[in-house]
Amino acid sequence: MIRAFTDIHLRFAQREVLRGLTLNVAAGGITCLLGPSGCGKSTLLRIAADLLRPNSGTVSLPAAQTAMVFQEPRLLPWLTVAENLGLALSPQPSENSRNRIRQVLSCVRLNGVEDLMPRELSGGMAQRVGIARALLRNPAFLLMDEPFASLDAITRGELQTMLMGLIAQQRTTCLFVTHDIQEALHIASHLAVLHNGVIALTEAVPREFAAREQLKQRVLAWLQRPAA
Amino acid sequence: MRVMRVLLTPVLVLVYWQAVAQSGLVSAYLLPAPWTVAKTAMTMWETGLLPQHIAASLQRVAQGFSLSVALGCLLAALTARFSLLDQFLAAPLSLLRMVPPLALIPLLILWLGIGEATQITIIVLASFFPFFLNVREGLSRLTDAQRELARSLHLSPFRYIFYVVLPCGVPSIITGLRLTFGYSWRALVGAELIAASSGLGYLVVDAQQMMHTDEVIVGILTIGLFGWSLDAAFRRLCALTLRRRFPELDA
Repeated sequence: MIRAFTDIHLRFAQREVLRGLTLNVAAGGITCLLGPSGCGKSTLLRIAADLLRPNSGTVSLPAAQTAMVFQEPRLLPWLTVAENLGLALSPQPSENSRNRIRQVLSCVRLNGVEDLMPRELSGGMAQRVGIARALLRNPAFLLMDEPFASLDAITRGELQTMLMGLIAQQRTTCLFVTHDIQEALHIASHLAVLHNGVIALTEAVPREFAAREQLKQRVLAWLQRPAA
Repeated sequence: MRVMRVLLTPVLVLVYWQAVAQSGLVSAYLLPAPWTVAKTAMTMWETGLLPQHIAASLQRVAQGFSLSVALGCLLAALTARFSLLDQFLAAPLSLLRMVPPLALIPLLILWLGIGEATQITIIVLASFFPFFLNVREGLSRLTDAQRELARSLHLSPFRYIFYVVLPCGVPSIITGLRLTFGYSWRALVGAELIAASSGLGYLVVDAQQMMHTDEVIVGILTIGLFGWSLDAAFRRLCALTLRRRFPELDA
């Protein structure tokens, strides 16, 4: 396990969103962060990506080694797929960078789309490109903010399988925000539940069905508790 | 077929004009027939008079247009970047925008004298604001999501501006360029009233003073045709070169 956040405090206007949050994540695996809407999950990811500064506390994930995948693909509509991916690389185009782009597109099972414009892609394809762009940075830490939430069930299943394979292959540490318990139990090696601005529960995901169901019930119990 | 539809109205206008001129209802001095105007235009072209005036006007418009674009870009970028500057300049710019450039002629003549400087300044005053406002609008189209994306990718300032900020504003900038050209071109006649000795505006005024109505119409039609052609060519160029990246420009 890697210490990612220590005693994080964050206040928005009059509301304290994060109240001394401390979180460890699974090294080389997927840690899913669950919580009700508006509890601060996405905010925590933005802190990790250095898009937001906490009022106090320590973030142990170096921002330069993180890459973020947002809920929507956020491809720039005036750039081709290859050009969008190229933004994640150094400014000088080279044969090496073109090869890397082809390689990473192959990893996300997209071939031959380099010259397409984002509007010519389906939602699932665009999200794969967003993931590819994050992977191109060779991140030590991959931050994913409900990346499959807007996709249909079949595409979501395909991308979940793809992600698990990529993480297993590249041993990248992934912090994955979701509100879907089933998704979390399916893809994660560890779960964490954010409640009232702190981590209320952190557990490894067991392999046995019965133990997983018990974990699911514990998670649901926390999710259903009213916020203070 | 599309070309025929576009040309139908001008052809009908010409036919109507010819019919009115031939009917004798209006004196030939007030409204020469289209064929008279065409012969005058051909003579003015062959003697080199028309090309000379066209070149002079194009040069003035090019200078005024370039200055407007450069100033508009600079001021729009600065006011977008520094909100304090934007606040300081908001009132004086709004005031200046509401003053017709021709109303400033007496002051400009006092400060800059009678000549090219005053003429170019009038063109700039007439065309600066559409470009400035469109660039400002274009720069403000950048969304928080795009800003966040750029930060998450750790883009350098140059790449941020070149790949994210500027392209975001391209549709507005193109609109601004077209409007600026239109205003520059239309301000030409007013600018060339000030002791100009060449140019299409001068041609129109000089012909009016010499009571050559056919030459007046030739000048006016040349202004309109050239303006229209240049605008259409620019629009076509934008559509051809940019439509894949900016489909909204494909008009």
